[in-house]
Amino acid sequence: METEHAIEVSNLTKRYGDLIAVDHINFNVRKGEVFGFLGPNGAGKTTTIRMLTGISTPAEGTATISGFDIRRQPIEAKEQMGIVPDISNVYNELSAWDNLTFTGKLYDMPKEFRESRAEELLKMFGLYERRSEKVQGFSRGMKRRICIAMALMNRASIIFLDEPTSGLDVQSVLIIRDLIRKLNQEGLTIFITTHNIEEASQMCDRVAIINRGKIAAIDTPEKLKRTVESLQSVEVAFETTPQDALKALKGLPKVNEAVKEGDKFRLFTDDPASVLASTWDYAQSNKLKLITVNTLGPSLEDVFVKLTGIRPATEGGEGGGRMGGGRGQGQGQGMRQRRGS
Amino acid sequence: MSAHSSHLGREVRVAWAIAVKDMLTYYTRPPSLMFGILFPFSLFLSFSIGRSAPIATQIPILIAQTLFFASSSIGPVVIPSERANQTFDRFLTSPVSLLSVLMGKTLAGVVFGIGISIIPILIGLAFFGSQIANVGALFACMALSSLGFSAMGIMFASIPGQSPGQVMMPLNFVRIPLLFISGVYTPVGELPSWGQIGSMLSPLTHTIELARYALGGETFFGPAVNISVLAFYTALFLFMGIRFHIMNQRKE
Repeated sequence: METEHAIEVSNLTKRYGDLIAVDHINFNVRKGEVFGFLGPNGAGKTTTIRMLTGISTPAEGTATISGFDIRRQPIEAKEQMGIVPDISNVYNELSAWDNLTFTGKLYDMPKEFRESRAEELLKMFGLYERRSEKVQGFSRGMKRRICIAMALMNRASIIFLDEPTSGLDVQSVLIIRDLIRKLNQEGLTIFITTHNIEEASQMCDRVAIINRGKIAAIDTPEKLKRTVESLQSVEVAFETTPQDALKALKGLPKVNEAVKEGDKFRLFTDDPASVLASTWDYAQSNKLKLITVNTLGPSLEDVFVKLTGIRPATEGGEGGGRMGGGRGQGQGQGMRQRRGS
Repeated sequence: MSAHSSHLGREVRVAWAIAVKDMLTYYTRPPSLMFGILFPFSLFLSFSIGRSAPIATQIPILIAQTLFFASSSIGPVVIPSERANQTFDRFLTSPVSLLSVLMGKTLAGVVFGIGISIIPILIGLAFFGSQIANVGALFACMALSSLGFSAMGIMFASIPGQSPGQVMMPLNFVRIPLLFISGVYTPVGELPSWGQIGSMLSPLTHTIELARYALGGETFFGPAVNISVLAFYTALFLFMGIRFHIMNQRKE
């Protein structure tokens, strides 16, 4: 069945009693695209992926996978997809080889096909030498790789990855990100749910932000960032920081908001040039030595925070903090768009 | 891949693959061994030791108890365990119907029940002079009972829970009382009339009676009634089990 979109979601809704977990959402994922599905915990990401993959049944609406309706043609729709859930649901009692060949049996692959595919994937994931070992002795990263290999057994055209790098060490994260890029280059459509904004920004062609069961925005990461130009900022750090620095910086002209981030201050503004000048004046008049000055563009995290309204718990908001994957977490490049120092 | 086979053939192959995987993975798990083997043998020994009746006459009771406990224990071990590590989701995301998944799980219980209940048959034949008087009745007893009790276990495994204990507990509230009205401790003919009605309604009664008939003993209700009632319960448990699991999926 030829269709322009790999996934088409139409009015998809899920209710748990009075709670609407996913509320009439609509979006499309193009063929060959890496599509990120972002949202805070409880926003409806996993519920959406569970409906799209057939684990749970929508209350209203539907979706098509490569043109096959998940409600009316579930078997055909499931043949098009591979799924990597948020935890590595491998069979610990079985060997790596048996995990893959059993997955092949679930897709009714003939013996010679499933064995050659299992061998190919285990070699690709660097696990062929350990194919006979029970998976329970594998590290978390290795189990994740087995889980992804299982999702690729049936040569699916669409791969769903639910928090693919969550809880992994840096090396495993890099291996899996590299693998996802390679799979995408081979033509696979990738649907990733994540709360790691940096990961989404680096990997996705387009992202959808879901909050409280509704889609808040869908676009490319760069276009989304451009929608919040008011979130430009100046980052400064002083050699010694006076007690009242935050209050004083908040009071500078053209500063919309000031926040303390570790030993630095971030001054949000529509006019970075004026804020740079007034910050310099403030430092001079208080005999403070500036050791860091950066102007920053809005990040995808800023877009996310603006759209979802989540605030750090210390600010009395509901969200309990910003999302993971940012600067200082040791995964990838800096989170914000640096414009100069 | 769909051209590879007919839809039905595919469903059967996948169900068998699931059954074999469950056999390799769960037969040696402690809850399977405890509730499927230790439980029926211990109950039988506590009942039979000190009794004057010849062991050969008690072998049908052991056959029925092992069929009953072993077959009905696999679903309640497998399904909550698979819910806990989310491997049950693999079946739901695979291109196979829920019916085939549950048939695979049921089949794993059938093979376990038959495998364990062969032990008392062999013991009876080898050491206590038991003789198989009616092979057809023995086959019907083992096939229908293992299928029915395995389906009963699958039905109970629809109770939401992520550990076998959460399902075994309510299952044992049903299994253990059935022992008292099914002619295990008191022959059906010696029960009061209300007890005989209760006994008639218990599937375990008919497993014991068929096993007894197959080994040359007498039955109270007769083999035709035994087979009919067991067939009815098998169909009922299969139907209800599938319905309950479908209802669970809708709630997911």
